[in-house]
Amino acid sequence: MSLHILGIRHHGPGSSHHVNEALKALQPDIILIEGPPEGETILKWVSHPDMQAPVAMLAYVPEQPQQAVFYPFADYSPEWNAIRFAQQKNIPVRLIDMPLAHQLAKAKDAEISDEEDAMPPQEMVTEIKRNPLAYLADIAGYDDAEEWWEQQFEMAKHPAGVFEAIAHSMTALREQLPASADQREEIREAFMRKAIRTAQREMYSTIVVICGAWHVPALLNMPAQKQDDALLKNLPKTKIETTWIPWTNSRLSYESGYGAGITSPGWYQHCWQTTDHQGIEWMTHTARVFRNHKIDISAAHIIEAVRLANSLAQIRNYAKPGLREFNEAAQTVMCMGDELLMRIVWKDLIVGDNMGKIPEGTPQVPVMNDFEKQIKSYRLKLTEDYKTITLDLRENNDLQKSILLHRLNTMDIPWGELKTVRGKGTFKEEWQLCWTPALHLSLIEKAPWGNTIEMACNQWVAHHAVNSQHLADITALLQKAIPAELQEGIYALMKKMDALAASSNDTIELIDAIIPLAQISRYGNVRKTDLDTIEFILSAIFYRMIVGLPLSTTGIDEEQAQMLTGKINDLQTAILLLNNEEYKSAWLETIFKIARHAHAAAMVKGYAYKILYDTNYIETEQIALAFSKALSVNQDPNDAVNWLEGFLKDAGHLLILDDAIWSIVYEWIAQLEAGAFQELLPLLRRTFATFKSVEKIKLAEKVKHGKSHALKTAPAAEIDLQRAAKVIPIIEKLLHL
Amino acid sequence: MSANILRQTAEQQFSHEIDELKKQDKHPIPENWQMSPHAVVTYLMGGQLGNGFVVSPKYIGNRRLMEIAVATLTTDRALLLYGLPGTAKSWVSEHITAAITGDSNLVVQGTAGTGEEAIRYGWNYARLLSEGPSLNAIVETPVMRAMKDGKIVRVEELTRIGSDVQDCLITILSEKMLPIPELNTQVQAVKGFNIIATANNRDKGVNDLSSALKRRFNTVILPVPESLNEEIDIVSQRVAGYSKAMNLPVEKPILEEINRIVTIFRELRNGVSNDGKTKLKSPSGTLSTAEAISVMNNGLSLAYHFGDGALTAEDLASGIIGAIVKDPVQDKLVMQEYMETVLKQRDGWKDIYRACRDII
Repeated sequence: MSLHILGIRHHGPGSSHHVNEALKALQPDIILIEGPPEGETILKWVSHPDMQAPVAMLAYVPEQPQQAVFYPFADYSPEWNAIRFAQQKNIPVRLIDMPLAHQLAKAKDAEISDEEDAMPPQEMVTEIKRNPLAYLADIAGYDDAEEWWEQQFEMAKHPAGVFEAIAHSMTALREQLPASADQREEIREAFMRKAIRTAQREMYSTIVVICGAWHVPALLNMPAQKQDDALLKNLPKTKIETTWIPWTNSRLSYESGYGAGITSPGWYQHCWQTTDHQGIEWMTHTARVFRNHKIDISAAHIIEAVRLANSLAQIRNYAKPGLREFNEAAQTVMCMGDELLMRIVWKDLIVGDNMGKIPEGTPQVPVMNDFEKQIKSYRLKLTEDYKTITLDLRENNDLQKSILLHRLNTMDIPWGELKTVRGKGTFKEEWQLCWTPALHLSLIEKAPWGNTIEMACNQWVAHHAVNSQHLADITALLQKAIPAELQEGIYALMKKMDALAASSNDTIELIDAIIPLAQISRYGNVRKTDLDTIEFILSAIFYRMIVGLPLSTTGIDEEQAQMLTGKINDLQTAILLLNNEEYKSAWLETIFKIARHAHAAAMVKGYAYKILYDTNYIETEQIALAFSKALSVNQDPNDAVNWLEGFLKDAGHLLILDDAIWSIVYEWIAQLEAGAFQELLPLLRRTFATFKSVEKIKLAEKVKHGKSHALKTAPAAEIDLQRAAKVIPIIEKLLHL
Repeated sequence: MSANILRQTAEQQFSHEIDELKKQDKHPIPENWQMSPHAVVTYLMGGQLGNGFVVSPKYIGNRRLMEIAVATLTTDRALLLYGLPGTAKSWVSEHITAAITGDSNLVVQGTAGTGEEAIRYGWNYARLLSEGPSLNAIVETPVMRAMKDGKIVRVEELTRIGSDVQDCLITILSEKMLPIPELNTQVQAVKGFNIIATANNRDKGVNDLSSALKRRFNTVILPVPESLNEEIDIVSQRVAGYSKAMNLPVEKPILEEINRIVTIFRELRNGVSNDGKTKLKSPSGTLSTAEAISVMNNGLSLAYHFGDGALTAEDLASGIIGAIVKDPVQDKLVMQEYMETVLKQRDGWKDIYRACRDII
């Protein structure tokens, strides 16, 4: 009976090669692998012809899908290859790590949803990567533990003795480092030892154990069985379900949530598929990726890059160049030293775009379970014909339905279409529902984003927030995220919004961003804690916009001016809504600046005066003065009309009630020459046609009376308190007070 | 070596280090180099040798860049050091050359007026007239001399040289020989010959390299200093040197002001505030370390000659604005935004905020 313990680096292609060779040489009759025992039942899918890595084993607590663990596997994962080897040879495979039933139960008891606890695979890697190996690498003079491992083991040319060397170095390391106080670690190793003992008792003759290098010494030196049993007593337990889900290269890398902790899946794939030591194939591949991105790279570049990479390896005392050397060579030779070009190809080259496939018939993913649970409790039916429902958002049940539909829409699962509601009130929503099988698939696709609809949707929004480059996209997403009540997603959007706002030169974009922010900030759709962030970002964007606004009113044509006036109108409403004195005064100051700006578009200027008039920022006399100036004889009539349109936008009452302004307009029109008047008439009509018909009638009456005699506004009459008091009871009655 | 020489060459100044490195060198040495590539990198980055001898660092920054630069010279491509003004390109090229060949004096300074005869060869017209065309009548350039001796020649500001003249380098770099058609002969380069060129990537109106020439160079981009402390060190070192040379007494410790200037420059250059919370726009200027040094020097002069000798925010503000606002419209916006979103909020920075606000 012999026992062989093969220490590996998870997802290391070199480890995988070594493991394959060792398995061929040893011909074991059982293989034990570090992994959750619950997954054993679904291992049968691994050799299915339709199974295509990268995939992940997903284990979760059925009642609480948030409690989940992903175990990603790639083609070059040593564990994956060992499982396939065993299934080819028809020998048993066992997963011998601590059962997740205990791990997740513990996490649940302690109410820790800490990432590390929920995600052992990542932890395994960080564990190895963090202290022990960094320590060894440091001794060997490498500044990066990952690189050290690569040079030492993954890229070693003589695989014989590799596992022995690993065992030795780890033993030395574990002896030297103070014993870790991590109890979970000990329990895990006790479980592994227990499984080994079981296999030995069952009289298997050649047992191969595949585990992370760090655990090797603990499995080699078996303590007394009693000691282990004591550790394993009375562990809490919970129910676990497992399934396979498709995984992608980008999710294997660091870039997203549940990474396997490998930064360069594309490179690993290459290492796994070829035995190209000098890097000729890799460099040729690199050149081709560049060419696909329309960057010209000749064969001579490839030759030079390979040479440089090998020289670099020599200077650094490496046996052969690694990814870092290749990247540096490519950057130096192919990109004129420019890092930017490397970033363009990074995703295609280093990460790769593989996506795994899962055979039909594998068990269901949690997000689907969550979805079905939700529609069951809201009594929604999945039907393929159109059905219209009306929701009253004041009712909790209806509100929840609306949130669900909004969330699905946010994730591009258009089950329901929001219709405009007839009648008044914002508490009503009308949806047209139609479910198609395609939506089913696209929901499953969202599984890796999270285990509940809410989680997945948050992640999805956060992901898009990070990848979006346009403020307008973020604003659009934000407007979707608000009714979907996605706190984390909104937070991510905020952050990105701040980043984009800083680099944006487009004031209009900034204005568009402010308006929804102001709405959230005022009506507090979000939790209290988030309000501070919103406030912070709102103020940053607001002041940026203030600085840029006066300049953006210059040098624009009529159409743009009209658009900008509309935006300023919206902003004015939003800022009044915020009810913040500081913003308000800064805003009015800016408006005042625009109003007096020599080159600002006439319409915007006119509207600016309107705002100043409405808010009593400046004296009526000053307004009258500005009015006369803008409409004076020497002024270009076109500008004058535009100015007037800006000023009188939706403000017929102003003309009717304010005699000062009335007189100025009256006089201006009266002194126009016949030709000029005819030319201006259509433009004037544009302004006056927007007034309500009541206003127009009143205006016409006023015209009949001719020029008003009072050039100044009448001083406000003293209020007769006695007369006023008489009205109060009636008002109270009207208001039901 | 006379003591009153204004500036010594690298190999003179660090001759003891070069000698020691040569003695301790155990790695294989390429032909016509005086030390191994390893030792060259050690010379540049500093370090301790086996016998305890300490080599001072010449380049403060990323070791990998120096490794790439030296590794390039062991292949048959030439090296192009590229980067913003003030990122130590010429400094690095001088030291690499000094370490590899012990002779950093083979230099061609590129200008708009650099002609072919400065790169290939010129004629001694007196000789040419009396003897007719012969090798004796040829005036060698640094490039030709380097080819004959297997040394490294430096070309400063390569992109300032006209494109037609630049392209003479193509034959030299790809075929490693310099034809002299007048005499029907050529100079063939000896092993060890190579070129280190420098160029800056900010200037406008320069002559971009043709793709044919580009392909003969490996490019290493020298970045601006990576960390705040690194940059503060460089600036304070240089400012201390300046105030000593100009006899400007410094009243109070100016480290704090240096810290602020470097922080402002870094934040604007990187487009994000130091705490990473606020994103910023970057102005059109380079805001290199060298500019931070000149703002400090300028401020010190102002304080000494026109103020009471103590350095205040007002003394620095005009320099800061002058360095940042190069484009009166766009950069001014950038600066205003920066002032309102960052400077205004920062504790203890009100003086600088106010001083800048008075000017802008």
